Amino acid sequence: MFAYFVRRLLLVVPTVFFALSFLFLLFFALPGDPATLLAGGADRNPDPGVVERARERYGLDEPLYQQFGEYWGRAAQWDLGESFKSGRSVNDILGEKAINSLRLAIWAILIEIVVGISVGVLSAIRRYSLSDKLTTIATAAASAVPVFVLGFILQYLFAVVPEKQGWPDWLHLRTQGLGPDTWTFFFIPTGEQWRYLILPAVTLACVSTALAARMTRGSMLEVLRADYLRTARAKGLSERKVVTGHGLRNAMLPVITLIGLDFGTVIGAAILTETVFSWPGLGSAIADAVSERDLPVLLGLSLAVTIAFALVNLLVDLSYAWFDPRIRLGKDAEV
Amino acid sequence: MQPIHKGGPVTRKTLAGRVLALLVALMLIAAACGSDSDSGDESGSDGTSGGDDAAAETQAGGDFIDLGTFVGDPPEHLDPALNTTLDAYQVINAVYDGLTDIDTSDPANPVIVPDVAESYEANDDATVWTFTIRDDQVFSNGEQITPSTFKASWDRAAQMAGDYSYLMSFIEGGIEVVEGDAEEISGVVANDDDMTLEVTLTEPYSNFDAVAGFQLFFPLPSEATDAADFTEWENGIMIGNGPFAMTEPRTDEEILLEKNDEWDGDYNGETWPDRLDTIKFVTTADPDTAYNSFEAGEGNDANIPPARTAEAQENYGTTLDVPILGSYHFQFNLEDPSVGGDDNLLFRQAVDQAIDRDEINEAVYSGSRTTSTGITPEGIPGFQADLCEFCTYDPEAAQAAFEEWEAAGNSQDGPLTIQFNRDAGHEPVVQIMVDNLAAIGIDAEADPMDSETYFSELADGACVFCRTGWFADYPTYDNFMYDLFHSDALGGNNYGFSNEEFDSLVDEAKQTTDKDEQADLFVQAEEILVNEEIGVVPINWYRGDYAYSDDIAVFPQTNFGLIVWEQVAFAA
Repeated sequence: MFAYFVRRLLLVVPTVFFALSFLFLLFFALPGDPATLLAGGADRNPDPGVVERARERYGLDEPLYQQFGEYWGRAAQWDLGESFKSGRSVNDILGEKAINSLRLAIWAILIEIVVGISVGVLSAIRRYSLSDKLTTIATAAASAVPVFVLGFILQYLFAVVPEKQGWPDWLHLRTQGLGPDTWTFFFIPTGEQWRYLILPAVTLACVSTALAARMTRGSMLEVLRADYLRTARAKGLSERKVVTGHGLRNAMLPVITLIGLDFGTVIGAAILTETVFSWPGLGSAIADAVSERDLPVLLGLSLAVTIAFALVNLLVDLSYAWFDPRIRLGKDAEV
Repeated sequence: MQPIHKGGPVTRKTLAGRVLALLVALMLIAAACGSDSDSGDESGSDGTSGGDDAAAETQAGGDFIDLGTFVGDPPEHLDPALNTTLDAYQVINAVYDGLTDIDTSDPANPVIVPDVAESYEANDDATVWTFTIRDDQVFSNGEQITPSTFKASWDRAAQMAGDYSYLMSFIEGGIEVVEGDAEEISGVVANDDDMTLEVTLTEPYSNFDAVAGFQLFFPLPSEATDAADFTEWENGIMIGNGPFAMTEPRTDEEILLEKNDEWDGDYNGETWPDRLDTIKFVTTADPDTAYNSFEAGEGNDANIPPARTAEAQENYGTTLDVPILGSYHFQFNLEDPSVGGDDNLLFRQAVDQAIDRDEINEAVYSGSRTTSTGITPEGIPGFQADLCEFCTYDPEAAQAAFEEWEAAGNSQDGPLTIQFNRDAGHEPVVQIMVDNLAAIGIDAEADPMDSETYFSELADGACVFCRTGWFADYPTYDNFMYDLFHSDALGGNNYGFSNEEFDSLVDEAKQTTDKDEQADLFVQAEEILVNEEIGVVPINWYRGDYAYSDDIAVFPQTNFGLIVWEQVAFAA
């Protein structure tokens, strides 16, 4: 198990290297000369002298292989450079954005796990009941509603309506921004903070929660028909123990895979949610960096997202063994 | 609207009923949100400001949260030497005062008045301008403002070569600094003993007093002008001499200003004692979110999304009655063979006459804008009403022009692409234009792009028929004719209009000191642009688009789109 863990951990290195190298080269394949944009050429043709000065200043006049080598030389020491646009350290930008994304991602995933799995299990054990049918409709609708539409509806219902109706402050959620920055253990909101967090977290979680519920339901239905569950019932175990102790654990493998993939997505690609709620996270920062041809920011933030994605997937793989002891992760498994 | 949240536990037996009730309630709310009101208050057009009743009772101080300025992105630049956007200018204008200011109390006749300068004069041919600086002017850190302050600031601005640095070409030796061939502008001489700043221009320019008050020419303290790296200034605390001061560096999320107690007043010496204590500019990534936040009581003002104009008029104070000196129009690239040249003049005329500007104004902006009859709006000295010959909706004439164009052996090779940036609410405007053109047989299609790509493409000469707009920087006719359509502006704000006669008329007008003669020349130039060449299709002139909350008593917006922050005050 340990050897497997170390091997998988080491695999993260080439994964990150190839992903970032691909991005690096792709950047130069994009239309638009970065030096011209840096010289203010987003909406005009800047003076050629100014363009050349920008090219020199940011090292864009060097051969591509040299820029590539220099970038990796610095990145290996976790020096991600400076933003072309603002001149700020990318390490600082990453620190700010990553913590915001992580907080939002953690709560979105918690909602997905708690609500998605619970609803899926309940739906499966009450198959064809009214609540199951309603759940099926609701989850289909939730996966189809565009994020920005849901975001605006939630803003209206939980922020605008309470303001207009004079509801108490605690029922009045916030439409945008990070809030007062009062967190315990970096991700647990305290005081007013939860009023800022709840709407973006719910919005971000909505689609994946619906998918998790549907997947849990399907997976549970399959497991509930399995022979070993009949055996468990025959042994006199209570239905609760049968479902939670045997059924749920075995039904979890595909759901865990989904949640693992979602975690990477909500950290690095929550662009719409971040935009609707002005939550300054990694997704919108990466999108901005692409449109502004801000290579250091693009690479630095993508590096973090790639590492996070690789690590979460590693954890998911490791968790398989816990959920299903038949899966062996080690030397024995390869025999 | 009644609250829909009734609380209480949701039991399994009543789940279905409650879910259904919730769905119905959601649909009703959605319907309510989407409904238009017919009772939108028609505002008059003679307002001088977007504030509430000027006699309203106000209270001193207060903390103002602005949600209307930075919608979409945080400002790229806050440095007066680099900024080109009205958004960031709202902050810069609160932090800095220039040599001159604009008195807009009569919106039809904005007047340039001395501000940090106590007086100024030009020689007879307007080639040498002498500004006498007031000797009591200080920055918020106590540093005195002298003529040398301005000289150092202008040298710095030229060296930084920002997008507005072409204005430095008006001054002798200015362009040499922009191009990196010199470090000081030779045409600027500061005399701190007699507090004068003498500026020699490259050619006569009778409106230089207006330009001298623009942000590019604002004074900066020695901390900025002596810095080794000029670009860092805007990332720290920018010290200024205006009614408000920065107290902490900007972030992408917000910019905080506090009352500057060192400020000695505006051009009238008025210090506006009820001035706000603080202004927090909050960046909102999406315009609808910003408006929702405003409605949810999270801020004191917001930009009104076009679709919610009537609703805003009904529920809040707005600046919709303020005529803005700004034009919303579509430009033809006359270099493009599909629309340019004399052969396509009738085609351009047909397009111009086919567009129903009133329908656009009503359907998209709830009638809140002014249908334009030219490019240069009322309020610019020399303005002439009804200048545009083909801007009136006339589908029969448009059809006839199009048929005549076809009869001459021309035909469309493909649909006319109407290019625009998709993220700023232009889509419905373009859709109406496409329908209008289809009605007379012209095949047209919308070509939306994201803003970054769009303006980058236009700079590269990709305009065929492209949307653009302009807010005046200062009240001069040349700020429209020269900055937008002169050949010097090609590759900058001009996306494809070039006409020698037009250029020479504009050049001559700029150099003319007689105001009436100058106006005549500019009008002749604009007639070439809109009537003879039909290089542009004017659509409307902007109006103010801020809504402000009930607790705000005064919220003035000038004809230049700037909020007069020192006058904004809470209701008593």
